[in-house]
Amino acid sequence: MSNRILLVEDDVALGQQVVQTLSQAGFEPHWVQDGDAARDLDPDDYRVIVLDLMLPGTYGMDLLKRYRVKSEVPVLILSARDDTADKIRGLKLGADDYVTKPFFPEELVARIQACLRRPNLVGTQRLVIGAIQVDLERREVSNAAGALSLTPVEFEILALLARRKSSAVTREALVDAALDPAQDGSRRTLDVHISRLRSKLGKDAIQLETVWGIGYRLSGGA
Amino acid sequence: MKLRARLAVTLGLAAISLLVFLGWAQSRWQSKMRVDALAEAAVHRMESGGRERCEANPERWPGDRGARRLRRPPGPPRQGLPRHRVFAYDANFVSANPDSPAFPSELAKQLKAGSEVATDRSPDQRRTVVAVRMPWNDGPCSVLLMRSKGPPPWFSGAVLMPAFLVALVVILVALFAAGPIVRRVRQLTDSVHRIGSDSEEPIHVEGSDEIAELGAAFEQSRQTIQAQLASLREREAALRNYIANTTHDVMLPLSVLQGHLASLQQRIEAGDALDTKAFVPSLEESQYLGSLLHNLNAVARLEANDGLSHRDPIDLNRLVERVVDRHQPIAKRKQISLDLAVPETAIEFPGDLTLLEQALGNIVQNAIRYNHADGHAAVILEGSAQRWTLRVVDDGPGVSHADRERVVEPSFRGSEARTRHPHGMGLGLHIASDVAKRHGLRLELRDTDGGGLTVELIHAG
Repeated sequence: MSNRILLVEDDVALGQQVVQTLSQAGFEPHWVQDGDAARDLDPDDYRVIVLDLMLPGTYGMDLLKRYRVKSEVPVLILSARDDTADKIRGLKLGADDYVTKPFFPEELVARIQACLRRPNLVGTQRLVIGAIQVDLERREVSNAAGALSLTPVEFEILALLARRKSSAVTREALVDAALDPAQDGSRRTLDVHISRLRSKLGKDAIQLETVWGIGYRLSGGA
Repeated sequence: MKLRARLAVTLGLAAISLLVFLGWAQSRWQSKMRVDALAEAAVHRMESGGRERCEANPERWPGDRGARRLRRPPGPPRQGLPRHRVFAYDANFVSANPDSPAFPSELAKQLKAGSEVATDRSPDQRRTVVAVRMPWNDGPCSVLLMRSKGPPPWFSGAVLMPAFLVALVVILVALFAAGPIVRRVRQLTDSVHRIGSDSEEPIHVEGSDEIAELGAAFEQSRQTIQAQLASLREREAALRNYIANTTHDVMLPLSVLQGHLASLQQRIEAGDALDTKAFVPSLEESQYLGSLLHNLNAVARLEANDGLSHRDPIDLNRLVERVVDRHQPIAKRKQISLDLAVPETAIEFPGDLTLLEQALGNIVQNAIRYNHADGHAAVILEGSAQRWTLRVVDDGPGVSHADRERVVEPSFRGSEARTRHPHGMGLGLHIASDVAKRHGLRLELRDTDGGGLTVELIHAG
């Protein structure tokens, strides 16, 4: 699918800025400036719709209702009004998220990317992170060179991090998931296991990062 | 018509009606008494020798003028026996005296119907005619007819004139007596007119009658209106104060921003080589400005006690992601790492989306704004819907123990809270604290291991 983003925004200066930001982020923005012009567009022609609420012509909320009748395309509301009722109504009508003005361009891009994130791999039995493959059912891990020999604790740590790929996981969550509290359930023990896991996974394929104040994150790969 | 005139006219009309009725009743009563007296006197006269004299000379009876009058019967004096003339008739209502008038047919009809006494008034109401059947039926004197001058008619001047005089007196008395009432009503009217003004004078009408009750009711209404006016003035003053404070609060960072931009322009004009760090203060100030406006909006809602008008299930995972995404750009520019961790299963919590997001945003903003380059901040959500902790950890300068209690007091009124706090907490933590309290959350500040501040929002279930 293309990277087309529909931007419905009536303010010219903000619209130009957003178009520029989206283009630089690798998207193909299609900008319309009033609600009536956006009414008859096919929402499924776009990957994400960025929708201002206060529009000339058709009101943004009505556009959202109209889109939701025929499409599941992610909709991100742009709101200048700091009004809870508007946000809640938008979310209830099927908006995926909202961004309150004023915002940094990066914030908008981050929220669009969050909208585009597909449901994670929870429930699947085989996780792929770069060159690393994790078979949850067989409890096997392999890389390009072949099978890796992991201890049960190391496997549980890797499985949890792989399920939450690119997201930080707290030390507490890792300890709860992988360590036996009666024997070696301490944070220091976790650090030892992480160190060994890092050396077994290698540095090139993926990165097992320490996240300050939180714990660890598995990143890298496709 | 004014109250006093209306009252006088009403009482006057009532007096006239009453007196006319009394005059009519008295006239009827006098008429009856007159008939009874005549009938009784006639029977008495005939039984005490009059019959014999009449029957002896019916053509001339009762004779001369003086004999025409009936004498009073013995016994207590009877009132109402008027001057009259008497005539004798036989049982067929025929008189032997040629001077006697024809017997009135109406009276004959009444006597034939069995009445002992029949009476009628002349058409002009000036004479009373009474016929009395004697205890005997034979002879030329078995029926007597008496004619007398009638009582004055009830509607005559003799009755009406006193009535009008009395009515006049009543009206005058009413006019005089209504004076105090009218004065009290006027006093009440003047007091009511003053309700809308700034007068604090209470409405008081002496007495315990309906006017006093009306005055008390007006006084109660006056107090309510005055209280509402005071409340409106208070709100108006608060609004003016809010606008003045907001203007001040916004102008300050705007001035700083203008200063940064002007400085950048001067440096460019002077040919200085600028790196991206040179723009960070301007960007930071612009973000602070946006955040400040959101905070002022939150304050307005909290002060209006509108804080929890919306309680909807909130996805806290998404909320954390949004707040971190919002602050990530400025964190990167300040070379501060900002990370987040949320549970695999989203935590839902009923609350006000805007206020909770603003509260967390304030805490995160502080963690970045007052941190040093290469510093760290992390937002961690842990637990479940029943029991969760939202923690913002940083390795910045922290907050002294002495200041911690003060910055989380759930009160942000007063100029001190609105200004930039020496430790940089400003309005943000006050709002966070207030929002937490209204959501039943606990806000705690503690040291981060290794230095810095950890702020926790705790839902203990």
